[in-house]
Amino acid sequence: MSNILGTLSENLAATVEQAGPSIVRVDARSRLPASGVVWSADGIIVTASHVVERDESITIGLPNGESAPASLAGRDPTTDIAVLRAQASGLAKGTWGEHTTLRVGHIVLALGRPGRTVQATIGVVSALSDAWRTAAGGRIDRYIQTDVTMYPGFSGGPLVNGAGQFAGLNSTALARGAPVAIPHATISRVVEAILTHGRVKRGYLGVGTYPVRLQGALAQQVKQETGLLINSVEPGSPADNGGVLLGDIIVALDKQPVRFPNELLASLGGERVGKASQITVVRGGQVRELSVVVGERT
Amino acid sequence: MPAVLDELNNEIARTVNEAERALVHIQSGTGFGSGTVVHADGLIVTNAHVIGGGVKKVSLPDGKSVEARVVACDRYYDLAALSASATGLAPIALGDSDQLKSGQFVFAVGNPWGVPGAVTAGVYIGKRRELRRDGGPEREWLAASIHVRPGHSGGPLVDADGRLIGINTMMAGLDVGLAVPVSAVKRFLKEAFGV
Repeated sequence: MSNILGTLSENLAATVEQAGPSIVRVDARSRLPASGVVWSADGIIVTASHVVERDESITIGLPNGESAPASLAGRDPTTDIAVLRAQASGLAKGTWGEHTTLRVGHIVLALGRPGRTVQATIGVVSALSDAWRTAAGGRIDRYIQTDVTMYPGFSGGPLVNGAGQFAGLNSTALARGAPVAIPHATISRVVEAILTHGRVKRGYLGVGTYPVRLQGALAQQVKQETGLLINSVEPGSPADNGGVLLGDIIVALDKQPVRFPNELLASLGGERVGKASQITVVRGGQVRELSVVVGERT
Repeated sequence: MPAVLDELNNEIARTVNEAERALVHIQSGTGFGSGTVVHADGLIVTNAHVIGGGVKKVSLPDGKSVEARVVACDRYYDLAALSASATGLAPIALGDSDQLKSGQFVFAVGNPWGVPGAVTAGVYIGKRRELRRDGGPEREWLAASIHVRPGHSGGPLVDADGRLIGINTMMAGLDVGLAVPVSAVKRFLKEAFGV
C-alpha cells in the first residue's frame, strides 16, 4: 500500500475539488469551449483573450451545471486577458496565491472546464523570471512557464499551486505554444483598467521603425549602438504633429534609451497617453529633441 | 535527494512493478499490443483492435510464451478476453472507475513500440463521453495526461494503489491517453462469463 503516493494523489484530487467551484466554462468560439476563473462573486469572469472569438452570444458554464449569458467587458490582447460579465451572482471567487512563492520544480496543476466537469493536468514549474513583455507589447509581471499539458480548452483556466491557490491564468498564446501563466498582479491591473475604462490604454506614435546600427562617433555620443530608423510616419499622427520625419533615428524617449522595437513598445504605456514626451532623434548626424504628445492606440 | 521525494519514487516504482506483474505482451496477426491479467488461470483482457488478425502468442511477465485463444470479443467497446494456457498468474486488483477524481495520479504500463513493461505517469483528467445522436449506447473513456503510444493498447491503467481503473486504448494527441473504464471491463466480463 502506498503511503506518500496515495496521500499526494488524494491531496491533488482534493485540491481540484476545492478549486472547481471557481472555474467556469467559457463558450465564446465556434470550436471547443475554453475555461475561465471567477474573479468576483457578482459575475466577473477572467479568461484568455484568444479564446473569446466573438463579442456577443457568450455563454458561461457555471460550476453548478447551469449556464449564464455573459457580455464582454473588455479585452487586452497584448496580455491575452479578457474580462466577461456573467449574469450570475453568489459565485465562488478564486483564492489567489503570491506568485513569489513559486519555485522551479514545484508541482502544479492546470485546471479547466471545457466541458461540464472540471478537468486537471499536472506538471512542474519549468522556468521563472522577472517581468517580461509579450510580442504584442503587453507587460506581464512575472514569467511563469510550466510543463503542464494544456488539454484543448484549458486556456483561461488557473494554474494551481501546492497550497491549492491560483498562481496564474494559463495561456498557450503568449510564448509560442508553451504553457505560460499570467500572474495575479497583471490580471488585477488589466481587470481594473477594463472595468474602469472599458479598455487597457496603450500609447500611440504613428511610426514604423526598423532597428539600425549607429556609427562610431554617434554611438559614443548617444551611448548606445543601435536606434530605430523611422521608415514610415502616419499623416496626422502624434509623431507627424510632433515633427518626426522619415529617416530620423529614434534613440530615446523621455531620456530612456530606445535601442530595439520592443523597447519603444514597452515605453508606450497607457500612462503616457495625452502627455508630451521628449523624443530624442538623430537627424543628419545631429542629435535633436522633439516634443510629441502621445496618442492612444485604438 | 529529499527523503519524501525519494520515498515517493520508491512507492511509484512499487506500484508500477505490481501492475507489471499483470502485464502481458500480445503478438497478433497484424502486430503487437498489451494485455492485462484479470484471473490467475490465464484470463487476459485486452482491446479488440489488438487481436485484429488473431492471436499468435502471448508472452507472460516471466518471459514464457504461451498459446491463447479468444473467448470473448466486443468490438463496439473495443474489449476482448483471451484464455491463455497458464496458471498461477498474478491478476490485477480491480478498482472503481466511477470513484475517480480529476487530479489523481495514474500510471499506464504496456509495451509501446514493442518495448516491454514501459511506464507512463500522469493525472486523471476527466471522463470523455461520446456524443451519440442515434440513441445507441454511449461509450465513455477515461482521459489521462499520459503518453500512450502504439503497443500500449490493452495494458492496464492503474491508480496510486495499483488497482485497475481502465484499459489503455488510444492516444488523443501526443499528451493525452484514453482508456476504456474498468466499469465497462467488469460489465463485459459479466456478460461474457456471468462472473
